[in-house]
Amino acid sequence: MSTASDIAAPGARFHLSKDVVQIVYRLLAAGLLCLLLSVLTDSFLSMNNILNVLRQASLLFFLASGLTLVILTGGLDLSIGANIGLSACLAATAIKATGSPALGTLVGLGVGTLVGICNGLMVAKLRIPSFIATYGMLWVLHGVTYYYMAGETIHGFPPGFRQIGSGYFLGIPIPVYLMLGFLAAGTFFAQRTVWGQQIYAIGANPVAARLCGIPVDRRLILVYAFSGAMAGVASLVFLARLNSAEGDVGEAMTLPAIAAVLIGGASLFGGVGTVFGTFVGALILTLVLNGMNLLAVNASWQPLVTGVIVVLAVWLDMIGRRRT
Amino acid sequence: MLNLKSLAVAIPAAFLATAALADGETIAVFTKNQTNPYFQAVRVGADNAAKSLNAKVNHYIPTKPDSIPEQLSQIEDVIVKKPSAIVFIPVDYKAMVPGVEQINEAKIPVVNVTDRSAGGKFLAFVGADDYNLGLETGRYMLKKLGGKGNIVIIEGVKGSLTSIDRVRGFNDAIKEFKDVKLLASQPANYQRLQALQVMENLMQSHPQIDGVMAANDAMAIGAIEALDGANRKAQVIGINGTKEAVDAIKAGKLLASGDYNGFVQGCIGTMVAIRSLRGQPIVTEVVLKPTVVDNTNYQPYDAAVETRTCPTWDQAAAMATKTN
Repeated sequence: MSTASDIAAPGARFHLSKDVVQIVYRLLAAGLLCLLLSVLTDSFLSMNNILNVLRQASLLFFLASGLTLVILTGGLDLSIGANIGLSACLAATAIKATGSPALGTLVGLGVGTLVGICNGLMVAKLRIPSFIATYGMLWVLHGVTYYYMAGETIHGFPPGFRQIGSGYFLGIPIPVYLMLGFLAAGTFFAQRTVWGQQIYAIGANPVAARLCGIPVDRRLILVYAFSGAMAGVASLVFLARLNSAEGDVGEAMTLPAIAAVLIGGASLFGGVGTVFGTFVGALILTLVLNGMNLLAVNASWQPLVTGVIVVLAVWLDMIGRRRT
Repeated sequence: MLNLKSLAVAIPAAFLATAALADGETIAVFTKNQTNPYFQAVRVGADNAAKSLNAKVNHYIPTKPDSIPEQLSQIEDVIVKKPSAIVFIPVDYKAMVPGVEQINEAKIPVVNVTDRSAGGKFLAFVGADDYNLGLETGRYMLKKLGGKGNIVIIEGVKGSLTSIDRVRGFNDAIKEFKDVKLLASQPANYQRLQALQVMENLMQSHPQIDGVMAANDAMAIGAIEALDGANRKAQVIGINGTKEAVDAIKAGKLLASGDYNGFVQGCIGTMVAIRSLRGQPIVTEVVLKPTVVDNTNYQPYDAAVETRTCPTWDQAAAMATKTN
């Protein structure tokens, strides 16, 4: 599949329609999984469980949506999990010290974004490969966080702040609104704005993009800043949901976030993928775990089942796309 | 003549004694990670004991939590530096045996703490009994539930000795009560977020859950957040006796936590190492008795570990299960 030619075609419409076809297949994979689960267990299709799955998917989606933009440029951000850790711990400290959730929110978003900007500067200005730059950043963040926390946890936040993570509005969890909001904003940004299209162009062919006069460096810094900011958002929702911060909070989330983006149809080579696809990817990963818990799959088998289903979902999708 | 002779014996003996009792030994302390408050407690205990005995402690902690290759290379580095003695918690009780053998070959005395190594020669083992801890804490909850009800277990990292033994203890406690039903036993890898999500999922398929047995405190508190979020009530127990768990016990949210007492393990492990260097009598095995921390006895735990003091040697020796 030549990614460059997709983009080189004039106008956004052509690659949009191709994206739509791709998304339909991703949705089919997710739908198939839902169908299977609803046959296997009654509790799956209850309204409660649907909201439950959406809320669980939201954390992964926050991380993965920012990452999608990075991957669209052909880069990778390995520091997002560690970024959550530092942002969460510093935001927690700010809330504890001042009692002000607003300040904590500012600190969480600020730290996340700042880390992202540093990543962007390393990649765009110093020309360090993104894998290395963000891998280095991962260690730096872990180091700072572990030193700062010294093995302790910070817990107990004001109820107002906790609404972001555990509150409801009209019977639907707040994180789900946030997720839908970022999904709409991310999709609009990527598909309907000049900057968004420039990001696709950079990923498809960075040299051509530069020659076309696209400010590649500034766009790169922007996507890494977005990725960092979304880690900040995730850290806040995380804090509000779990009511506590510890150094390794985000550790287990980096790989699933990358997987969600790729399951959603993005290519690690850049230029291909959508925020909506990533949403479906996050949903598929969450559904697998939810289903295994509902069906009480033996703990030893869970990693195996997860692996098989993820690979199968993408394979089915690829077969489907070859047919069209 | 006789006096002179006895003097001739006494002087070198006094010299020897002071030489043997000289301070300033360096003890290398190996723990598993910087993120779990348990190991922080071990380190503080070790520091505390060393300080009161005028010895120095150097800590070796894998930067990547629980990393087998990293701990192995740390052992190699430490052997080059030749500390007086080593206090050692293997990140994996089987995989680290070759590392212990290297320490033995280098003739550096070593004390095994927390996870009992599957091989190698040690001065002593200092630890807690995970199985009995799980059993006692589990029993405690089931008695509080009146010997009946629906229980779920949240497991730690699959394959880790602590999780296997604690969960086995939980299961055996459940078997003692014929009106207690085990609904599910699902893994959450000692992670707070995963425990929260597992609990949310389990609540979908089980309308009535009376008790939750979590293999550590972080998971127990994650489960409590899930219960709170769904406005449901259940008794929850954890293991480790962390400060956070004590706060939750005080708030009436957590029923109890089995005390693993890392602080005391760190104290005694280091004391044994130093005493052995100074030619003083030591004990060869201390397995701490399981203590269930609840709302009647939490006071001693309701303080930062830094403010606690190590037991005296007589108290430590009284806890010994094996002596020379």
